[in-house]
Amino acid sequence: MPEQGALADVKILDFMWVIAGPTATRVLADYGATVIRVESQTRVETARTLQPFHGGEAGPENSGMYGNYNAGKLGLTLDMGKEEARDVVRDLVRWADVVAESFSPKAMRAWGLDYESLTAIKPDIVMLSTCLFGQTGPLSRIAGFGTMGAALSGFVNLAGFPDRDPIGPFGAYTDFVAPRFTVASILAALDHRDRTGEGVYIDQAQAESSLHFLSPALLDYSVNGRVAARDGNRDPDMAPHAVYPAAGDDSWVAVAARDENEWQRLCATIGRPELVDDPRFASLGDRKKNEDALNEVIAEWTSRRPAAEVEATLQAQGIPAHTVQSGSAVYADRQMQHRGHFVELEHPIHGTTVVEGSRFKLSRTPAAYRGSAPTYGRDNEHVLKEILGYDDERVTELIVAGALE
Amino acid sequence: MLSPYRVLDLTNERGLLAGQMLADLGADVIQVEPPGGSSARRLGPYYHDEEGPEKSLYWWAYARNKRGITCDLEAADGQALLKRLAENADFVIESEMPGVMASRGLGYQDLAAINPRLVYVSITPFGQDGPKAHYADCDLILVAAGGPLFLAGDPDRAPVRVSVPQAYHHASADAAGAALIAHRERQRSKQGQHVDVSAQQSVAQATMAAVLAKPLGDAETVRSSGGLVFGGLRIRFIWPAKDGHVSITHLFGTAIGPFTRRLMEWIYEEGGCDEATRDKDWLAYAQLLLSGEEPVAEFERVKQVIAAFTSTKTKAELFEAAQQRGLLIVPITTLQEVSESPQLADRGYWRDLKHPEVNDTVRYPGPFVRYSNQPMADGRRAPLIGEHNAEVYGELGLSDGELAELRTKGVL
Repeated sequence: MPEQGALADVKILDFMWVIAGPTATRVLADYGATVIRVESQTRVETARTLQPFHGGEAGPENSGMYGNYNAGKLGLTLDMGKEEARDVVRDLVRWADVVAESFSPKAMRAWGLDYESLTAIKPDIVMLSTCLFGQTGPLSRIAGFGTMGAALSGFVNLAGFPDRDPIGPFGAYTDFVAPRFTVASILAALDHRDRTGEGVYIDQAQAESSLHFLSPALLDYSVNGRVAARDGNRDPDMAPHAVYPAAGDDSWVAVAARDENEWQRLCATIGRPELVDDPRFASLGDRKKNEDALNEVIAEWTSRRPAAEVEATLQAQGIPAHTVQSGSAVYADRQMQHRGHFVELEHPIHGTTVVEGSRFKLSRTPAAYRGSAPTYGRDNEHVLKEILGYDDERVTELIVAGALE
Repeated sequence: MLSPYRVLDLTNERGLLAGQMLADLGADVIQVEPPGGSSARRLGPYYHDEEGPEKSLYWWAYARNKRGITCDLEAADGQALLKRLAENADFVIESEMPGVMASRGLGYQDLAAINPRLVYVSITPFGQDGPKAHYADCDLILVAAGGPLFLAGDPDRAPVRVSVPQAYHHASADAAGAALIAHRERQRSKQGQHVDVSAQQSVAQATMAAVLAKPLGDAETVRSSGGLVFGGLRIRFIWPAKDGHVSITHLFGTAIGPFTRRLMEWIYEEGGCDEATRDKDWLAYAQLLLSGEEPVAEFERVKQVIAAFTSTKTKAELFEAAQQRGLLIVPITTLQEVSESPQLADRGYWRDLKHPEVNDTVRYPGPFVRYSNQPMADGRRAPLIGEHNAEVYGELGLSDGELAELRTKGVL
């Protein structure tokens, strides 16, 4: 099967953990790259401790988050503190096109696996290091998670209501943004290598990548001196533009009107055609000025109806509206199901597991999912014997030395 | 990195970032706009708040490093012109609603017939097909549909989005990677293909796998003021400082527990808590709470102790101490603080681009990664409307006379 994938010729040695790094190599694995994920059993990787869990039960082999970001990869357990383990890694470097790691900057150097050392083994290797703030600078030593990246890159301060504390987007936000740049950067580097024979080292600061999602606001500060502020769900160019209560417990629906036509259709659809002539709501500027009153009028209509009905009624008139979908609602969403967003895979412990599929479709070489994320040591024998060609004796030596833990 | 390749970027505000990423990676990206300019030019903020198509900072931000031409894709002459451009292009990226490009005779099948090697990328709100493919949308709709909106907010108010729109950037950044996956395959097969990106699916990435709770049999994730609810416990990440807020990764277990222990040691040193509070088993603390051995009320008291302590310190003091003592504390920054970040300055992150039309130099976000062997392409401000018409159409072999005729007809 690997021969069929778009990236069937790509071999990746993956030292990434938690979210940002593994998310990127998961994309490459979906499209046929062979990804060998190295991890230690002695230091449990953080993603394995994070929810959602199979059956709601915490445990290193139960994490759906770990499963989601590592499906389709091969797993090799190595205790990197052992010289024997690092010998295995050096053999894997000879095999690999790409070495990717997401430790804090000093770890790879401490193991003698920094870029210079790797080029001594394989001159045209592509190596990518990704961490919050990059390999240099006063903050480069900071170990941290995407929640911290989101705080330090301005995202957290930009979500919430003006009269309250910042709330931030959910979770480790820069971990969701940065992997897209990781994928593109690695593939561009491989293309360059193929044409020139030249390997390269890539230093990714996840914060620096993520700031590209805020570029207009950063320019607004640099040329206008205006500091973007959180503004609930309001938008400078649209009103209404809000999240409204729907009938039911903690049920919400997002509604917006992108132009005057949509505003007029909205008034008609909610049975309030007279609002079009209401001077408080005559123009976008008027509606922005009277946005609280505007939102009350619309909330009165939405709050009597289930969110799905609001969505269907307004969308039938071409007005932007959508249920604010919980995790389980996204799973059940007919569009997501139609797109095949959720994929069931066999799992050695749980029987089956579910992961998200590729977020995009390639018409001729679609994504393929080679299996669930590796349980500890699942692929040790395959990697050592089939890929590296070690004999039984060599493998036994590694086991005895405790290198495979 | 990608200097041999040419991209025809037909996107509007929904897809501009994809082409810009390829441009930053060195590709020759030609932004194609309708006569009069892209709809993205009507998005603010604006340079010195002067509304106008050449002053849109949204456009400046995401058309950087591209060449710009105009071409009326609604007109037969414009469609013919685009087909000629597509003959020698490696990538086409578009962000029209499903079916629009095909109705112009410029869909994937149409252009693949001219250039079978073409990688053709479509960025849409919900993907090319499915029951919601033609839904009316905007950023708020997509974060509602894909899951992240539900997860963010205070429990007593409506869920809340990031005030700077994000959804299309998730899709566009995915599109750049997807284009390069198809490109790599083309290098072997000599065949292009159609890449279909759904913004709804792309934003689902920002749920941190919460969309999997249901099929795996775990509890629904709910919004908790920037924190997490875990087994009924309210974990807090956002804490008050004297002059704003900080983010503290306040978790337990073998990996993060030691950071929490060091934080409690500091609070004790400064008289903020007693020994018994300091000496709780922070590595096993979650289990103690979940088993009931430690009452939840005590956890709530500890959080008040921490908040009382952090309120007496500035963000800078807390951040400084975090670096000295090994704590997981960072300031919650404004974009002014981001712009003045010593870290970004030390790494020479920002890029100053000249805008001769306004006689000014403007500071932009810099390279999204650093390559050891070559700098990322930069230096070209976003194109003016039709700025490179003569250059690009000249490369295509159009004479000055033909260009003048197309201009007269309103095609350019």
